[in-house]
Amino acid sequence: MRRVAVIGVGTTKFGKHDRTSGELFAEAATEAIRDADIAPSAIQALYYGNVTGGEGEKQLHMGPLSATLLGIPTVPTTRFENACATSHAAFRHAAMEIAAGISDVVMVGGAERVLNIPTDEATEYFAYCSDASWEQTVGLTFPGVFALVARAHMDKHGTTEEQMAHVAVKNHRHGSLNPKAQFRKEITVDMVLKSAYVADPLKLLDCCPFTDGGAAVILAAEEVARKRPRAVWMLASQAASDTMFVHEKRDLSRVMATERAAAAAYRQAGKTPADVDVVELHDCFTIAEIVATEGLGFFEPGSGGAAAEKGWTALGGKIPVNPSGGLKAKGHPIGATGAAQIAEITTQLRGEAGARQVEGARTGLTHTLGGNTATVLVSLFGRG
Amino acid sequence: MVEPVLTLKHFFEEARAGRLSGIRCGKCQELAIPPKEFCPTCQGRDWTPVPLAGSGNITSFTVIRVAPRGRGTEAPYAVAVVRLDEGVSLLGRIVDIPFDSLRAELPVRFRPLITGEQTALGFGPA
Repeated sequence: MRRVAVIGVGTTKFGKHDRTSGELFAEAATEAIRDADIAPSAIQALYYGNVTGGEGEKQLHMGPLSATLLGIPTVPTTRFENACATSHAAFRHAAMEIAAGISDVVMVGGAERVLNIPTDEATEYFAYCSDASWEQTVGLTFPGVFALVARAHMDKHGTTEEQMAHVAVKNHRHGSLNPKAQFRKEITVDMVLKSAYVADPLKLLDCCPFTDGGAAVILAAEEVARKRPRAVWMLASQAASDTMFVHEKRDLSRVMATERAAAAAYRQAGKTPADVDVVELHDCFTIAEIVATEGLGFFEPGSGGAAAEKGWTALGGKIPVNPSGGLKAKGHPIGATGAAQIAEITTQLRGEAGARQVEGARTGLTHTLGGNTATVLVSLFGRG
Repeated sequence: MVEPVLTLKHFFEEARAGRLSGIRCGKCQELAIPPKEFCPTCQGRDWTPVPLAGSGNITSFTVIRVAPRGRGTEAPYAVAVVRLDEGVSLLGRIVDIPFDSLRAELPVRFRPLITGEQTALGFGPA
């Protein structure tokens, strides 16, 4: 198997846009092409991620559409959908195409546009990522899924709403340092605690926003990448699944797919959690970040809330988590999120993250979760 | 042709009449909610339908205040994971229980929630 590197990254500003998701992806892809300093025609395949385009934009067959908008209409392309883990799953497959020796340069990314439709309509489409027979019929929403996780974590470990609020405050502080973040204003624990309940015990400021945006990364084989000093190497990329059904989860306070994917990724890379300098993980809700920091092995089960409260996951802390602002503040265009996380870790490991730089970061981790905690991707990256 | 296991359609037709059905693995005795081809525990395929009594206890719950399109008039509403006495769990809408009395371990009892052609799972006071 050949080694795989990231040689170019690009993202749009996250927030509200008046362009289609295809256009948003093309903008991010153009930035990635310039960052990699390659000709568009050097791209041999495009792995494209999007979730709700069929519903919100009445648009399917987005792979060739995106390639057409980018100006490389003859490139082989496929669209991926793995709920919120969509473009991280696409990344793993793109990397496998290079590792297998099929292509030398591959683009992967995605885009989402949902702020063109009302909130209740977007909430309905996102709920399509839960089960139609068991979950949509009782009106379960995604905040509802993570509210069930939060309640279980609170009952089992004594995690508090205030500890969850600290995650939101920290990620907004990080987002204030990221020019492309959807939210660049700081918030307080009090503001989180006083925001309206969306699904008890989760409040509005525990939840990531709906976001329009695109992200793209360019992957290359070792033969191409080794001449490039800014190349960042993929050390591991692993996927794991768990039962799709909330009613079949063995322990709602844990995300088993995170634990399985992380164990496999550390083994593939020959690393341990202690080797990781910077993390972009899936904080779709504040409790999701707490559970992920435990599942990825940074903190003992049940101690993720206290770690957040003590500032251990902030820039300058023991293990900086979501320096980009995370899904919470940077924003969560669900088809783009995995690629955007990889773009941030690449930027961090290059030492190009400016005010939000984790000093001396040499090993980074990305974690993306899809649906009812049913899909998780974990990848590790390093310099040299 | 493979021999059929309990289908979703059958499960919800039974639920509509007030009856819950599980399936038990003849090889390892695992109890599961249908439909399922192979037993996730032992990989056997020897299921027998078993009736579930419909009583259980809440393991986790939430009150949903921001609803999907079409459910705005229903909100706020409570949803809970309920561990049935037989050991399997189901997700259901909570009915006729005040939000402020919801807690883990609260005993509840199944009841079907019928809206036109659709049947959903509900749980009310034990």
